[in-house]
Amino acid sequence: MSTHAATAPAALSSSETSVSSPAAKALGVGIAGIVLTILGLFVSGGKVIAFSWLTGVTFWTAIAIGMLMLVMIHHILDASWSVVLRRQFEHALSAFPWLALLFAPLVIVSLTGNHDLIWKWMNPDYILANGHTIGHDPLYVKKAAFLNLPMFIAMTALCFIVWIWLSARLRKASFAQDTDGDLKWTYMNRKTAAFGLALGAVTLTLASIYWVKSLDYHWFSTMFGVWFFADCVRGALSIGVLMLLWLYQRGDLKGILNTNHLHSAGMLVFAFTVFWGYITFSQYFLIWNANIPEETFWYNLREITKAGEPSQWKYVGMFLLFGHFLAPFLYLLSYKNKVVHSRIKPAVIWILFVILIDVIYNIAPAVKDYTTGEPKAFLGLGLLWTFTSVVGVGGIFFWSYFKSFPKTKLIPIRDPRITECLTHHE
Amino acid sequence: MSAKPYGLIATFDTTPSVYHAAEQVRDAGYKNWDCITPFPVHGLDKAMGVKRSHVPKFSLCGGILGFTTGMSLIIYTSYFNYPLIVGGKPYFSPLFAFPVSYELTILFTAFATIGGMLFLNGLPQHYHPVLKSDKILSGMDDKFHIVIECSDPLFNLAQTKALLEKAGGKDIQELEA
Repeated sequence: MSTHAATAPAALSSSETSVSSPAAKALGVGIAGIVLTILGLFVSGGKVIAFSWLTGVTFWTAIAIGMLMLVMIHHILDASWSVVLRRQFEHALSAFPWLALLFAPLVIVSLTGNHDLIWKWMNPDYILANGHTIGHDPLYVKKAAFLNLPMFIAMTALCFIVWIWLSARLRKASFAQDTDGDLKWTYMNRKTAAFGLALGAVTLTLASIYWVKSLDYHWFSTMFGVWFFADCVRGALSIGVLMLLWLYQRGDLKGILNTNHLHSAGMLVFAFTVFWGYITFSQYFLIWNANIPEETFWYNLREITKAGEPSQWKYVGMFLLFGHFLAPFLYLLSYKNKVVHSRIKPAVIWILFVILIDVIYNIAPAVKDYTTGEPKAFLGLGLLWTFTSVVGVGGIFFWSYFKSFPKTKLIPIRDPRITECLTHHE
Repeated sequence: MSAKPYGLIATFDTTPSVYHAAEQVRDAGYKNWDCITPFPVHGLDKAMGVKRSHVPKFSLCGGILGFTTGMSLIIYTSYFNYPLIVGGKPYFSPLFAFPVSYELTILFTAFATIGGMLFLNGLPQHYHPVLKSDKILSGMDDKFHIVIECSDPLFNLAQTKALLEKAGGKDIQELEA
C-alpha cells in the first residue's frame, strides 16, 4: 500500500521536534518518587524501604530486560512487523546504566553493618528461628558457593554489564543504519541476537535468583527464572503498546501504526498471559504435588499465619490468579479488545499493575515482623513506599527513554524490513 | 435440456483492476458473489466488504466444552466413580484436574475451529458451477475473476452485466448451475 510509504516521511519530521518537556517531567516525577522513598526511611526504617526499593528497581529492570529480549528475538527471527515497535524498545534500552546506578544502594547497604538487611544469607552469623546460625544451616552450606557476598556483587555486576553491552551494540547498529542504510548493521544485530539471547537468558535467570528467589534461600523452584522471563516480556510488551499509542495520539505515528501492528502486539501480550499462567501454575502444582517442606513453606508464608488463619497474602495470591491470568486471558481473546485503542490501553495498564503486584508477592513476604516472625501484611506502609519506589525508578526509566528519543529517527527508515512493517497485514 | 443459470463471470487482467472492481460490486450492494484469484490478494476481503470470520465463536464454544469435559471427567472418575486417595491428596482438586482440562481445552478448540471453518465455508463441496467453466483454469493461473450469483437479490442480468463492464470486467459470460 503505497499510501503508507507516502505519508511516512511527512510524519518522520516530527521526530526531530523536541521531547524535552516529557523528559523533564519524567525526571521530575522520578526525583519526587525517590525523595519520597528516602523520606520513608525516617518513617518505616531501613529494612522496609530497602525491600520497597528492591521491588521498584526489579520491576523496571524486568521491563528493560523484556525489551532487550524482544529486540533480540526480533532480530534472530528476522521479523518484519515489529520494526516500528523495536525502535521504541531501543530508546528505552538506554535506561540500563541508570537502573544499575539505582540498584547500587542495595549493594552498598549489603556491604555495611551485618550485611543481612535484605539478603540474610550474606551474614553467616545470622541466627535462625531454631537457634542455629545460617553458617551451620545445611541448606545454606550446600548453596554457599553461589550464595555469598562476593558472588552476589560479581553476578549483579556481570548481569548489568551484559545488558548494558548488548543494548549498546543493538542501539549503535540500529541508529547507524538510519544514516547510511548499510545492511551490515542488520547482520551485526542478528549476530548480537544469536549470542545475546543465550546471555540474556542466563543473566535474567541469575538476576531473578540472586535478587528475588534467594530472599528465602531454603526454597527450590526450577521455574523461577522462566517465571521472571514471563513477567519481563509481558511488561515490556505492555509498555511498548503504551508507547505506540502515545506516539499515535501525539501524531508521530499517524499513517504508520495500523491495526495489524496492535493486533500482533496484542496477540503476543495474550500469548505471554497464557505463558505466565502456565509457568506460575506449573510451579505451584509441582510444589503442591510433591509436598516437600523445603518447597511448600514458601507458599505457606504467602497463605496462612502460624496459627493457621488465612493471611492477607492468600488474597493477593488469589487476586494474581484471576487478575494476572484469567481476566486478561478472557479479555484479550477478543479481536476488538486488541486493536481498538481505547480498549487495549486499559488492558495493558492493568497488566503492568498486576505484574507489579506479582513482583511484590514474590519479594515482600520475605520481610518478617520482629515480634511475631510472620511476613508483614500486604497492606501497610511498605506498600506505599513500594509505590513511591516504582514511581521513582519509573521516572528515571522514562527520562532515559525521552532523552534517547530525539537522538535518531522516529522509525528505522532504512531497515530492510521497514516497507513490510509499514504495510503489515494479517 | 437447458441448464439453470448460476451467475455471471467477468475476467480481469491485473490485481488492482480486480481489487477496484470488487470495491464497486461491494458498493453496489451485492451479497452473493466472490472473487477468484490465483494467489491471496491482501486487503481483498476489505474491498469485498467481507466481515471478520465467525470461526472464533466456534473455537470459544469448543474451548469451554473441552474445559468442562476435562473437569467433569476428573470429578466423575476420581470423586464419584472410584474414589481413591493418591499421595494424601483430596479425592478432587481442580489442581490435578487442570492439566487434563487444559489439554482437552486445546484439543476441542482445535476440533471446533476446523469444524467451524468447514461448516461456514460449506465444505466439503464436491461440485461448484464455476468448475464447469474454462475460466477456472485461468483463474488458477494468471487471471482474476469476479462471479456474481443469480441468487443475489439485486441480480439482474442486464444491470449486473453493465456493472461488471463498468468496473472493467472483460469477456463476461453466463455460468450454468
